[in-house]
Amino acid sequence: MKIELKLYGSSKILSDKDALKIELPNDSKIEKLRDILSKIISEKHLKDNLRNLPKTAAFFTDKNEVVNDNYKLKDKETISIIPPIGGG
Amino acid sequence: MNLHAALVSIEESKSSLEKAKKFISSERNGAESIFIGKVRNENDKKKVIAVTYDTHDQAVIKTFHTICNSAKDKFDKNSKIFLEHTKGYVPVGEISILIAVGSGHRDEAFKICRYILEEVKHQSPIWKKEHYENGKEEWLPGHSLRPKKEVK
Repeated sequence: MKIELKLYGSSKILSDKDALKIELPNDSKIEKLRDILSKIISEKHLKDNLRNLPKTAAFFTDKNEVVNDNYKLKDKETISIIPPIGGG
Repeated sequence: MNLHAALVSIEESKSSLEKAKKFISSERNGAESIFIGKVRNENDKKKVIAVTYDTHDQAVIKTFHTICNSAKDKFDKNSKIFLEHTKGYVPVGEISILIAVGSGHRDEAFKICRYILEEVKHQSPIWKKEHYENGKEEWLPGHSLRPKKEVK
């Protein structure tokens, strides 16, 4: 299945676009998405900038609420990655 | 209407202070407290020329309302609150956040202002990228929203 990962903050280093299309096995959970993110970061040699992102990021569904690692992703779902925040 | 919460462009932020003063004004209030956060020209010994604020707009507005209503419940239900955060590219010296509070008494006005600022930093999905004089740029670290029990 495929999901769309909308990028915010430091995660924008991952792509020139606003979102990434990510292929995942069916019934994958957020935990799996974290693994795939780690691989993407390693492959792009971005470890110095983003090495902690798969561990520190939260994820929002379209309800704009944080979901936990057991959340089961749906095919074609849009998920937002929320790196550590710091406005003001 | 006792609450205004918004994300604004740099152009819009230039008139925020006047709008805020007008919004919180009330003969019922004996105190007005205004906090203005600005982009400063130095951080961690690096010369900063601007900051880009990235925002998850819908979630930011949702958290702004939650935070402001919580502040009212905690300190003064009749307070008037104006909260704006600038998004996009913001040069040094320009406003990044403006919080204005009108309340019956000074203690509540100060406390609400401080409470909102700290909660925005810990709840609202806003990110800062600093732009430096030497042409480099960097996303700043922040506060993780991942549930604490999940972090091993």
